[in-house]
Amino acid sequence: MKPPFLKRKNFILAIFIVLIILVSNKYQKEVKNLFYSASLPIQNFFWDLGKKTSDFFEPILKIKKLKKENEDLSIKNLELLSELSSLRELKKENEDLRKALDLGLEKEFKLMMVKAISKDISRDLIEINKGSKDGIKKDFPVITSQKVLVGNVAEVYENFSKVMLISDKESSLDGKISGKDISGLVEGEGSFKVVFKLVPHEKDLSKDDTLITSVLGGVFPEGLLIGKIQEVKKTDIDPFQTAEISPFFNLEDTDTLFVITEF
Amino acid sequence: MEIKNIFILLLIFYLLSIFQTSFLVHFDIKGIVPNLIVIAVFVLNILEGPEKETGIFAALVAGFLWDIFSEKFIGYHILILTLFSISIKVILRNYVRVQITKKA
Repeated sequence: MKPPFLKRKNFILAIFIVLIILVSNKYQKEVKNLFYSASLPIQNFFWDLGKKTSDFFEPILKIKKLKKENEDLSIKNLELLSELSSLRELKKENEDLRKALDLGLEKEFKLMMVKAISKDISRDLIEINKGSKDGIKKDFPVITSQKVLVGNVAEVYENFSKVMLISDKESSLDGKISGKDISGLVEGEGSFKVVFKLVPHEKDLSKDDTLITSVLGGVFPEGLLIGKIQEVKKTDIDPFQTAEISPFFNLEDTDTLFVITEF
Repeated sequence: MEIKNIFILLLIFYLLSIFQTSFLVHFDIKGIVPNLIVIAVFVLNILEGPEKETGIFAALVAGFLWDIFSEKFIGYHILILTLFSISIKVILRNYVRVQITKKA
């Protein structure tokens, strides 16, 4: 006897469903946009609830790590304060020289504020609450308020957009080590993992070096923070070394993001 | 398969999809989050046994909603989950002799 799911009526139903799928694909963007528009209040509610719940439990689960991180940050803070004071002097000197040579002062980017509302199940893609009707275009970079690079706009709908995080498997961009003449390729490996590749063997990569965007490639403005070196891997047979990166961006910090619309 | 059941399945999986993509993402373990949609389809098909067809409709609905909330084209996860559901039915029918659920 045939199993129930192989009855004739189910075959007809299957054909009907295939037709619906084909029609849905023709108007895929409109169908998805309709669902996203209808789901926005619920998604906002769950996103905020998830964040609050996670924030509540995080200190309990990570108390030991937080204590160590606090101590490291206090030391780093002092080092940065000292560096900041010398950089302020350089900035003033730079402005004076520019005025003297009649060069324009560097402009900041043109930004649009957005909010993350969901994340793709199987990829490192997040959805933001602005789309083509707000002026969002494909490949626009997305950053946090601390100028940490989050990713770039991968897909644009009328009311929403999908942002490909730098840790996504299809993400790759040019990066360099801040303060050193070391450039390479920053690639995502999925699950929020990022690696720094194609760095010549003879270059001196160290743990805690800061990785920033470089001007090569032209997609991202220079100087956006990416992450810091976690572990360097090099072998004698490979002409290049690879480093695991600990990205600065965190999904918990995506309450307010900024899309760079002009730079 | 009643129309009422299809709507109930649509609502359950719709809420599950939003819960998965907006709430659960904040609780990853080294970047990994369990996929509740796949788990729900699997459990439903296992518990209802090989003779019923609700599990297959659930796979269709779940796949459709997964496609909506992902960057894949509509049909990608529908096909995967439906085949997954049918495979479970075939295995339960032909290879599993132990009764997983008690008949009423």
